[in-house]
Amino acid sequence: MKQYINLYLLEFAINSILRKKSKNFFIVTIFTILTFLLTSVFFITNSIKYELNSTVESLPQIIVQKLKAGRHYDIEVDRLDSILGITGVTDGVARVWGYYYFKNLGVNFSVIGIDEYEEQYKDTLSKIVEKFDSSKYSEDSMVVGQGVKDVMERSYYNDYFNFIKPDGSLKKVKLGGVFDAQTSLESNDVIVLSKDMAREIFEIDENKATDLVIKVANPKEIPTVASKIRLMFPDTRVITKDDLKISYQNIFDYKSGIFLALFVVSLFTFFIVVYDKASGLSSEEKKEIGILKAVGWTIDDVLKEKFYEAFIISFIAYILGVGISLVYVYFFQAPLLQDIFVGYSQLKTTFELPFILDIQTLFLVFFLSVPIYIFATIIPAWRVATLEADEVMR
Amino acid sequence: MIELKNINKIYEVNEQHRVEALKNIDLTVKQGEVVVLKGASGSGKSTILSLIAGLSKPTSGEVVVDSKKISKLPDNFATIYRRENIGFIFQKYNLIPTLSVSDNILLPLVPLNLDTKELDTKLNSVLEMFNIAHKKDSIVKNLSGGEQQRVAIARANINEPKIIIADEPTANLDKELSLDFIEQVNGLKKSGKTIVIATHDPLFFNLDFVDREIGVDNGEINL
Repeated sequence: MKQYINLYLLEFAINSILRKKSKNFFIVTIFTILTFLLTSVFFITNSIKYELNSTVESLPQIIVQKLKAGRHYDIEVDRLDSILGITGVTDGVARVWGYYYFKNLGVNFSVIGIDEYEEQYKDTLSKIVEKFDSSKYSEDSMVVGQGVKDVMERSYYNDYFNFIKPDGSLKKVKLGGVFDAQTSLESNDVIVLSKDMAREIFEIDENKATDLVIKVANPKEIPTVASKIRLMFPDTRVITKDDLKISYQNIFDYKSGIFLALFVVSLFTFFIVVYDKASGLSSEEKKEIGILKAVGWTIDDVLKEKFYEAFIISFIAYILGVGISLVYVYFFQAPLLQDIFVGYSQLKTTFELPFILDIQTLFLVFFLSVPIYIFATIIPAWRVATLEADEVMR
Repeated sequence: MIELKNINKIYEVNEQHRVEALKNIDLTVKQGEVVVLKGASGSGKSTILSLIAGLSKPTSGEVVVDSKKISKLPDNFATIYRRENIGFIFQKYNLIPTLSVSDNILLPLVPLNLDTKELDTKLNSVLEMFNIAHKKDSIVKNLSGGEQQRVAIARANINEPKIIIADEPTANLDKELSLDFIEQVNGLKKSGKTIVIATHDPLFFNLDFVDREIGVDNGEINL
């Protein structure tokens, strides 16, 4: 019984690849780099998106900020009582937080004041309250993210840190603990201390807060509750979780958009190089097609053989590219490329790219590379194969 | 039987330049005949061979082989006709220089997807017949001209064709090897093949086993 795949034709294709070692080595190398870059970008994007979604999920449902002359001002804590009276609102917290600019290294810390007896509005904070004794983030102590600790140590603050208050005086705070860098994307630059201390550092009155965080029992009621708060306090900006999601997503999409635009240009250049290399049949290759036809190979036979050649080359490059990319992204944590997405700040968020193997991505990369190369190989071969053998050999 | 009926072949070099390679050619070659086409380079001999092999098509006229109008066949059918009926020995052998002797000889059989045993039988048969078995694994580009020609003849015979066509087969050989080739042609005639040879080598003239010598001059036949 005849086999469906002509193994002799396949063997001829493999021999043909080996006979043109240098040309094919060049093509496999270029294609591997291309596939590697493309796959790495997709892997990093998927992992960061996954991480970002987890972060966004832990965001407060509603944030109420006071505005004055279009700027964010401290809000009165007693407004919380009125908001808690709105049907559907189950809880509310007056947050005291802010950014502290550390001039020595030009970085911003996120300083968050917490009260161990309040319900925490973020998982990260709940974990800190669970993990650390309250003495670690009160009574002149603080717990910090690993990134903050590293930055402080660079300025020789090993056990404490001196905050400069708005009046110019210093507030010395001991280092009570460090939470691990793996916690999440947004915890690396965080300093957690007591609300009283945060008020002192930022000079916020006791009856005021940075903003109010509102919890609603039924997430479907968030827009209604938000509009009621807006009506109740017209001088406020009410931000819902969905607004934050969009904002986070926009920042990420903006960065990945720029990168993808640059990437498309390089991709296009790569394809031109590869197409040129693959499609430019040499006189020997043309003659070889002529000989094959002269000895009895039909156009189909020639094209099948060229298909096998192109498939083997591009599939090897695809497998290599994806394999190297997996190692680069998930084993080495994508040095250089990750920076493009998460920024170059000294206090950039250090986190493990979670392993997300998206089959759609693998298919997408496959269809962006393998079939294009096959067409780039087959079309010029078809052009030659359809000529009269006599003409090709001459 | 091969019949060329009122054949004209014009090569369009460019819009201004046309070469009339064959003019009103009529030729018949009977089965089992050995015919030698004589003539200077550029006289049109190779074009006649090319038409008989279905490697190109006439501008006008018909090529009929065993009652089949091969000049009217679409490319793929012409190729299959060639694979089943024609063994072509080219002037420069047209071997693939980076392949081994065996691989070159087996080229016409690759698309047929035969089983290994059948392939081996056919391969060994022609290797022995044309005395090239000892070189079967050598890479063709490392062979001498005479050895390359044996490979070309072996390849032309691997599919057991009825018709053997040879285009200036001794052009690149010394006298000894040319005589050796002539002996092989004689052997092929004995096995009943129809053979058409285009040559201007005098060694082919007045040979006993050659049935006819036909002169070709400036695209026309001089009987």
